[in-house]
Amino acid sequence: MIRCFGRSCLLVALLALVQPAVPAATAVGELAPDFALPAATGGNVRLSEHRGEVVLLAFWSSHCSVCTAQLSLLGDLQTTYRSAGLVTLAVSVDDDMHRATRYAQAHPTRFPMLLDLRKGVSRAYGVERLPTTVLIDRRGRVRFLQSDDRGIDNSYVAQVRELLDDPL
Amino acid sequence: MRTANRTWQRLAPVALALCLVTQWVRAAEPPAKPSGAPAAVAAPAPATIAAPEAAPEASAAAPAGDATGEGSTRALDEQIQDLKQQVVDLNKDLFVLEEELLFPANTQVAVFVSMDVGSFFGLDSVTLRVDNREVINYLYTPREVAALVKGGVQRLYVGNLKAGSHELVALFSGKGPNDRDYRRGASIKFEKGVGAKYLELKISDKTRRQQPEFEIKDWE
Repeated sequence: MIRCFGRSCLLVALLALVQPAVPAATAVGELAPDFALPAATGGNVRLSEHRGEVVLLAFWSSHCSVCTAQLSLLGDLQTTYRSAGLVTLAVSVDDDMHRATRYAQAHPTRFPMLLDLRKGVSRAYGVERLPTTVLIDRRGRVRFLQSDDRGIDNSYVAQVRELLDDPL
Repeated sequence: MRTANRTWQRLAPVALALCLVTQWVRAAEPPAKPSGAPAAVAAPAPATIAAPEAAPEASAAAPAGDATGEGSTRALDEQIQDLKQQVVDLNKDLFVLEEELLFPANTQVAVFVSMDVGSFFGLDSVTLRVDNREVINYLYTPREVAALVKGGVQRLYVGNLKAGSHELVALFSGKGPNDRDYRRGASIKFEKGVGAKYLELKISDKTRRQQPEFEIKDWE
């Protein structure tokens, strides 16, 4: 029995050593993964073209009522801080892209509504629940990541202003 | 034999404990710090490499700089500019080495995109398939299209292929004449020999037919 225990320990040790590396989702402080996505109203948008600006990525779905309510608040935020260099990009994770497109066309916003057809962007940012918002600073690094339904409150606006005040 | 078994039984838990500690330490490593840290991480290496060269310069500059404060500040500025230039040159060399390592010339295949269009085609995306395998699907923003129309050439894809016959298929999507959705393909069979292979996807206007034309050129 002692012999079996010893061999089991060694086997577990070897398995621990050869454990495959699981790529982690983007963490705060890391460079935001670049991407290009089609917009619901036409055209394509690439994240890296907004280097030098503060980017607010909002992941949403037409099935999520909290997300759709948040979109109107994001529109107000965008209007207020656009001239200071804030760019808002809403990324839909709907499985039915036609539904997402219809929703976007029925509810026009002041920022592009992007369609993540292959779910590559939501995977890269580790989106596990909705709504999720990501704040990216002027240097292209993820600075804040919020994954709850607290919404756009004063503390969130303070975070946005902190990034906008940071010159490149 | 019994002694060996006992030793084995004693060492195995120790090995397990060491591996678990190693995994814990790796997991507990702090994440990358924001903005300033990478520059700070990169800077010390060249600074230490350059230090032996800079030290005699500094010691030579110091007596001259002692004469006037401005002189020493100017010398310091020059040293900093030299260090910056060394960092830039090192970065360039590293990039070239990385390219040569990842895509050696004997297997390298590169595909470029160029446009010579006016009003017949608005490029939206290009999909490349090499030997029936999709290798890239690139979406173009208005800024990128404007750069192509101005004469820019984009390196769309670089990869490795074995010597022999291969087929490249390119699918172009966008807006055609009368602003209608437009989707066209072009293909080429080519021989990959020793040396890098360069292919160009050319999008141009054909005024006579009032249609865009898509062709693939082999830079032989």
